Amino acid sequence: MDKVASDLQQRVLALISRGVAQATTDEEFDWLARDVFAFQYERCEVYRAYCDRRKQTPQSVAHWKEIPATPTSAFKDFALTCFPVEQAVAEFHTSGTTREQAGKHFLETLELYHAAIGVSFAAHLLDENAEMNGRDARSTLPMMILTPSPEEAPHSSLSHMMGVVMEEFGADDSAYYVEGGQLLLEKLVRDLCELQWAHEPVFLLGTAFAFVHLFDHLDQQNLKFDMSEGSRVMETGGFKGRSRELSKADLYALFERVLGIPTTRVVNEYGMTELSTQFYDATMLVGKRTDGKTVPPWARVLVIDPNTGREAAGNERGLIRIFDLANLWSMMCVQTEDLGIRRVSESGVMEFEVLGRAAGAEVRGCSLNAENIVVE
Amino acid sequence: MSATIETIREAVSRTREARERVQQHRSTDAVIGVLTQTAKNWLDPNSPWRKRAVEYAPRHSGFSEAMVQEAIDLTFGAINYESLGELLDRELGNRRVLDEFCLRGRVQSRAIAPRLLVHFLAGNVPMPGIVSICCGLLLRTANLVKVSPRDPVFPSLFIESVREVDAELADCAASTDWSRGELALTQTALEDADAVIAYGDDHTISALRQLATPQARFLGYGHKLSFAVVAKEAMTEENLPQLAQAAAFDASVYDQLGCLSPHVYYVEERGQLGPRKFAAALADAMAAYQARVPRGQLSVEEAAQIAKFRSSYEFRAASDKRFVVWSSAAGNDWTVIYDDSPSFIPSCLNRTIFVKPTDGYKRVLDAIQKIASNVSTVGVAPMHERAAGFAGDLARMGVHRVCPIGQMQRPPLSWHHDGRPNLADLVSWTDLG
Repeated sequence: MDKVASDLQQRVLALISRGVAQATTDEEFDWLARDVFAFQYERCEVYRAYCDRRKQTPQSVAHWKEIPATPTSAFKDFALTCFPVEQAVAEFHTSGTTREQAGKHFLETLELYHAAIGVSFAAHLLDENAEMNGRDARSTLPMMILTPSPEEAPHSSLSHMMGVVMEEFGADDSAYYVEGGQLLLEKLVRDLCELQWAHEPVFLLGTAFAFVHLFDHLDQQNLKFDMSEGSRVMETGGFKGRSRELSKADLYALFERVLGIPTTRVVNEYGMTELSTQFYDATMLVGKRTDGKTVPPWARVLVIDPNTGREAAGNERGLIRIFDLANLWSMMCVQTEDLGIRRVSESGVMEFEVLGRAAGAEVRGCSLNAENIVVE
Repeated sequence: MSATIETIREAVSRTREARERVQQHRSTDAVIGVLTQTAKNWLDPNSPWRKRAVEYAPRHSGFSEAMVQEAIDLTFGAINYESLGELLDRELGNRRVLDEFCLRGRVQSRAIAPRLLVHFLAGNVPMPGIVSICCGLLLRTANLVKVSPRDPVFPSLFIESVREVDAELADCAASTDWSRGELALTQTALEDADAVIAYGDDHTISALRQLATPQARFLGYGHKLSFAVVAKEAMTEENLPQLAQAAAFDASVYDQLGCLSPHVYYVEERGQLGPRKFAAALADAMAAYQARVPRGQLSVEEAAQIAKFRSSYEFRAASDKRFVVWSSAAGNDWTVIYDDSPSFIPSCLNRTIFVKPTDGYKRVLDAIQKIASNVSTVGVAPMHERAAGFAGDLARMGVHRVCPIGQMQRPPLSWHHDGRPNLADLVSWTDLG
């Protein structure tokens, strides 16, 4: 790693290690973000070509908000790296559908990635514990993880993240409950029973899809739990047509009704293969159920009006655009295909809410469109 | 105002009574005359019907006022004495079979229309609904028309405009609306229907088909898509401006939301001019059409789809010469995407069109094989002998219409909509002799 790169990496790491509580000023973020932009413009040829086409270059961009966003689709078409791709220590792939090529995110180092995962995760899912019981409490919860292990799914960024948080924060008896594409329902139920008997809290982590599967199973078996106080859930969205779809509110009600875990201790995570930083509902930070997500100091989130390409007015829906400095080695500014809104939270900080994929636009006429025809 | 069980039953009995009177007092030829006069009234630039449609339709359909004007011209321009007569003659052999026994072969036959025809309209393109009502009136049947929330304006205005010419005939049709979720109302509407015409997505159509009585004739028109092919013979310097204008018209009308709207233009290589030249000329023509007939307002979801298509292709085009993107200078009014790969890519619509090079008709057939059953119309230029051979191949794949580029949005009244007749499937026959 040359000096320019290692200096930048140190600056980003310093920002991450400050934790989520201490916000960055606009000047502070802008200073680093535009340096990262210049770095990525110089080192990633295809990104440079795109910026040149848009006439938005390090010379012309005067503020971080003007930095050109890379569409997530570009991760399918190009290896978007600021280092020789063959030196990648890890690569994560989007799940995608069979007809589509997977998007790929290559990592030069895991240092930034792991730092960003740990700080955000702890702040949104663990730190109230730390305050109550001292720092040790952070590592006492057994994690029941409803995804494949990182060994089984080496290209899944979600499994990788689970590996990181289990290693760092999980109790020794933490385990993965998806093997060979199957949710290990019986083992899950058995282990939940044991924890309930022992009056031990549980930490469940998984996809909304897996949880619906679990709840369907518990319903069939006529089973209900009342997990101990201190139990919590990290749920990450996305059904992608793989199970019956439930609204977030309905799913969270099931955690309370079937597992005895109050909705104030169920936290949604918004993460993407193309990013290094995850975003969480502020629920446990503020002690109150909310769909508003906090933005850590090393990131920014804008909501873009798709009709104008400019920032949407406050409380108007638009496309979520993420600036993630931890993506130093790939693409810092990513244009997602998710709709969201941005607003000031009750506690006075900027937050955003994810409203789901911008798919399923209703066709006003009688034509089929890209969303409702499958070319296979 | 949403219908109730009572208002639906009342509308059914009112239209049925009107039907009894009209059956006795109107000949088919007289009905043709009424519809012809009605269409003529709409085509008058100062028509009050036109003014009202332009005032009220945009807020439901999302079309611009100029687009509504264009829709009126396209819809009512197709309805006249000749085209209505041709429709009847072509489908029933002779328009008089609806009035009396006529000699057909060795026996005399008379066509018997259904007593109650229920129309379920969908989407914001007015023409299918207006034509559907015209068919019902030509048959002098009672018509209950459930309008689409995207176009509650045209069907009711049309019935009113018929009333201006012939009140008794207009009484044979009633338009109404209720939410799709109100199953009891749909069942009420269908309980006495002996014929049903339904537009909508596959899910809607199959649900309605199940709700209709087993003896009712059921014509379902699903959502479809279209594309076009430019052969190398058409790609000349002299021909290109006119061709591009025709292509931009087909792609822009109804903001590309209709089932006749092309998603892709395949352009044959090795012409005097290449496919990229076509794409550039098409972009100019799209801009010119936009200046004359602006695209309507989009929902956030629709705009997001365009943003997604555009940014994805613009990123590729920046470093990959196989892609080129032309787009409206400001906003997202229109987008032309040149993409070197032959595969068929459905568009996100709202004036987003692909141009793709092809080695010839045979390659196009390979590329569209998987979507052939969803294709409504294939535009071609020029209409030459090779195109006729291509049309034969398309016919075998289940495509129902091949027409010149520029005519994709102007199907004649007597076309086989989705491959079936419009009237012939609705009548039954009584033979004499």
